[in-house]
Amino acid sequence: MKELFGKLIMNYPYFAAAILFMIGALTVLTRSDLLKKLIGINIMESAIFLIFVAGGNIRGGVAPLLSKANSGAVYVNPLPSALMLTGIVVSVSVTAFALALIVRLHRAYGTIDLQRIAELRSEVAMDDSNHHT
Amino acid sequence: MLSLILALSCGMAGGLIVAVIPQTRSRLRNLVVLIFTTAGMIFTWRVALRVFAGENVAIAGRIGELPWSINPDPLGAVFGLIAATLWLFAAVYSFGYMAEKHEQRTYYAFLLISFSVTLGVAFSGNLLVLYLFYELLTFVTYPLVIHERSSEAVKAGAKYILYNLGGASVILVAIIITYGRAGSLDFAGGPILANSLQNGLDWLLLLFIIGFGVKAAIMPLHRWLPAAMAAPTPVSALLHAVAVVYAGVYGVLRVVYSVFGHELVGRLGFGTILPFVAACTIIVGVIIAAKQDVLKRRLAYQTISHLSYILLGAFTLQPWGLAGAMLHMISYSTLKTTLFFCAGIIAEQSGATKISKMGGVGWLLPKTMAVFSIAAIGMIGILPLNTFWGKYYLMKGSVAAGMWPLALVLIVSGIINAICFIPVVVNAFRGERTRINGERGSRVTLMLAPAILLVIVALLMGLFPGFVWPGVQAVVNWFF
Amino acid sequence: MTATIIPDLPVFVVIAPLFVAFVLPTFARRMRLVEALVILVGILGFLGALYLASLVFAQKGSPLIYSLGGWQAPWGIELKAGNLGALFLLVVTGVSLPVSLFAKGNLAQEVGGKERSARFYVLYLLLGGALAGMAVTNDLFNVFVLVEVVTLSCCGLVSARNHPRAAEAAFKYLIMATLGSTLVMGGIGFIYMITGHLNMEFAARELASIWQHSPHVVWMALSFILVGFGVKAAVFPLHVWLPDAHSTAPSPASAILSGLAVKGYLICLLKFLYNVFGSALMQEFAVDRILVLAGAVAIIAGSILALSQDELKRRLAYSTVAQVGYIVLGLGLLNRQGLAGTLFYLASHAVIKSTLFLAAGAIIAATGKKKVSELSGIGRKMPLTMAAFTIGSLGLIGLPLFSGFVGKWYLLLGSIETGKPLPTVVVIAGSILCATYLLPVIRRAYFEPAPDTTNADWQDPQDPGFSQKLALILLAAIVVLLGVVPGPLLELAKRAAAELLLLQ
Repeated sequence: MKELFGKLIMNYPYFAAAILFMIGALTVLTRSDLLKKLIGINIMESAIFLIFVAGGNIRGGVAPLLSKANSGAVYVNPLPSALMLTGIVVSVSVTAFALALIVRLHRAYGTIDLQRIAELRSEVAMDDSNHHT
Repeated sequence: MLSLILALSCGMAGGLIVAVIPQTRSRLRNLVVLIFTTAGMIFTWRVALRVFAGENVAIAGRIGELPWSINPDPLGAVFGLIAATLWLFAAVYSFGYMAEKHEQRTYYAFLLISFSVTLGVAFSGNLLVLYLFYELLTFVTYPLVIHERSSEAVKAGAKYILYNLGGASVILVAIIITYGRAGSLDFAGGPILANSLQNGLDWLLLLFIIGFGVKAAIMPLHRWLPAAMAAPTPVSALLHAVAVVYAGVYGVLRVVYSVFGHELVGRLGFGTILPFVAACTIIVGVIIAAKQDVLKRRLAYQTISHLSYILLGAFTLQPWGLAGAMLHMISYSTLKTTLFFCAGIIAEQSGATKISKMGGVGWLLPKTMAVFSIAAIGMIGILPLNTFWGKYYLMKGSVAAGMWPLALVLIVSGIINAICFIPVVVNAFRGERTRINGERGSRVTLMLAPAILLVIVALLMGLFPGFVWPGVQAVVNWFF
Repeated sequence: MTATIIPDLPVFVVIAPLFVAFVLPTFARRMRLVEALVILVGILGFLGALYLASLVFAQKGSPLIYSLGGWQAPWGIELKAGNLGALFLLVVTGVSLPVSLFAKGNLAQEVGGKERSARFYVLYLLLGGALAGMAVTNDLFNVFVLVEVVTLSCCGLVSARNHPRAAEAAFKYLIMATLGSTLVMGGIGFIYMITGHLNMEFAARELASIWQHSPHVVWMALSFILVGFGVKAAVFPLHVWLPDAHSTAPSPASAILSGLAVKGYLICLLKFLYNVFGSALMQEFAVDRILVLAGAVAIIAGSILALSQDELKRRLAYSTVAQVGYIVLGLGLLNRQGLAGTLFYLASHAVIKSTLFLAAGAIIAATGKKKVSELSGIGRKMPLTMAAFTIGSLGLIGLPLFSGFVGKWYLLLGSIETGKPLPTVVVIAGSILCATYLLPVIRRAYFEPAPDTTNADWQDPQDPGFSQKLALILLAAIVVLLGVVPGPLLELAKRAAAELLLLQ
């Protein structure tokens, strides 16, 4: 039991990631506000970044800079952090694009609530069909 | 080889030419139809005669690693001959029947294209080609089924497509299993599965029979056929009494004799059940037919019953039975087409489609009813009509196979067939005698002439059965 | 000359469209030049893919490998054009060329203005380049980057039409797709944590030897990858975004999205499953059974949903859901015939669905009618467009002599080989259902009289302009050609299947 708890505590970044991921996923799937959905996505992505970076970290490791002082030391794996830079760039561009879309939707419907937009659209559709007949 | 290609392409070429002839030029169109159906018939005869003489006429190739081959054997030649000959009659009948009807261009184009496709089914040399043309036949005859454009016709068309596509899909699975087991699909060179292990073959046979049974209208897979009677009468007469349904029957014959071989089927458990399935369809079909009031529907159910005569002959796995099946295939097609032709004339000239409304029609259309009566007698299967011989050999085959109850079934079915048709004839001559002659004018002549000719052919075949015997013998010798 | 190009060919096919995409905005005012450039890139890409395929074909399986920047495999990033890559490259370039021809016709009208169509082409080329990249990439993290490029450019294409509904569909798509790619990234992270490699081959080697030590992490990685790509490739019931996105996009975009983008994700999924995890591990974790089941459900449910749609493009979109089901089912068959059939089916469906969407787009552009029930008699008015639609439909149903049949044949061969009845029955039922939702369109178009032309509402529709006609003819010809002479492409598919299943 004690051993198990010890493992849990040792691996706390992963648990933080799991909790973050769930918060994000719940926000995306349950909120109808577009902006909140977007924030949820960002939280989810952060969770994945955390997993990557934590996976590359080694307890007691040093930055992988070659110098005579730390020649026998254990280096932290730099690759996951580098990869996550790309991930963050991607995430930022997705966010930017989504924000642009939200602005466009707000201009068209005057709201950024998905349910409200659906209602408005069905009203418009009904008006259209009335117009035709 | 050239005749083979020409026979196959006549219909297709004619159909494409008809498709570009303007809607209003009906004379030119009729001429084109006549030329191409006649040419198709002549080339088919040439191919068939060469096949009966024992020559090998074939073209073959590969799609990817799948082989295709067009290679008529006697069975295919007989089917091709029936289809090609009757096509000419049906085309002439159509000139009368379709005059003044709408959308003639579409009608004739697809009629000609389905000619090619039917010959393709007949001349296919392996299962893949058979499947290809079998599936195509559904699609190219679909426009003919929905030709009336009424909601009833559209519904019938949907049913037609659904049943036939379903059947074709089952066949596809069966073909793939066959290919996996035997590695070959060719009919030439003996039964495909002759050397295959026996386990599971029962189910494979069942798959094939279900698949082809849809077009052969084995009960309970027959529902599309009465619905398809929404089509114009020449289509019902040619496609749904002969060409399309024979494609199914032909498929079953192929499966039994070319895929499995009669010896193997005899050893399988299902092989012995199948004749009784056919017997059930014979009796139930004709009983339902006797209950129908709409003449075309009565004829349709009767078709279902008579198709199973042919299947029954095939399932006896006896030379006599197969000879009976071939004879019935030939003779029944002539008479059934005649009956439909007559029904079409009655519907067009008197407006009556129901038998109960046909009182006095006999006085209005005496020649038509005379032809109808002779053909109806043929359906019972007594001399001097050609169906007698088919029935005689079917019985002989059943007895030879040790399944004498089947002979009884045939006799009973003959009696119910009599109950089916005699009232129609009697009813037609009841009621007031009119002095109007409903058979004047070139339109009726065009419809009546093919019917009379076919009945004469049927009578001649009945009196001199030796005339068709070489073809039948070639088929029997080929498989036994 | 050729000797210097050959080693660089895999990277050239990917880089060319990307490069032109970045140059394009500088000519945004000169529409003719933009269109000419796009088509030129398309032609060059197709020729490159063709040459590459012929090289791969001639080399009998040994792939062309290109190391980016000259760094060798475990450290550097590798592009690998083997059988699978060559096949998918051919599909991508072969379909996107006719689609760009089609777009030349009335794109400005559909997206509203010249400026916007130039931007459309930028996204279009980015998408093409990224899809080509998916075909040849051999690096896990590159897959993620390419997936994101494809996602973003797809969302851009969906929102290309100046209409709030397009923005809404694009947003929904963006959210779902990002959810998917986040999951994919997580899956890649888990694989990296277990194996320490991002190169697919090295990761696979490592994984095969040490997976028993951490089966839970492997399980996590697999489920993240499956669900992630499931969302992106619209595997039922994760398809909710697809019908809106694919039916509101401009027609050339719909064609590319349904025909190619979805296939790109499926190819990536295939690479993960077969190249990284391998078929033994798939069986160990029951992935094959999951795939077959998910595919079967998708085929049936997608077809039934398609049946109930009256809007033509929505019907085609749901049909894509069903067809994705075929490919997913095929991925789970785990035998050579089945996998070869799946790959061929993927290629065939890419061509067919593009044909159908383009024909539908031409009809909608000419008549303004979107619903199937309003298309009576259109076959007489627009014979060529409807002929292409008919050929596409018959191909999708799987009639012999059309490309769909060859795929279906091998899929069935593989299904029967598994010895389980479910895949066989579903594949058959799917093609019958496909007939029931596509044939009524054809029946209406040809066998019902057109409404009264004196009605002002119905301007007399005509076949579209030359370049659009050419696109439709090309695509329809490919459908028939692949059905009659599937030879080389089928051979590529078979070799790829053998390679993926590690058979020789």
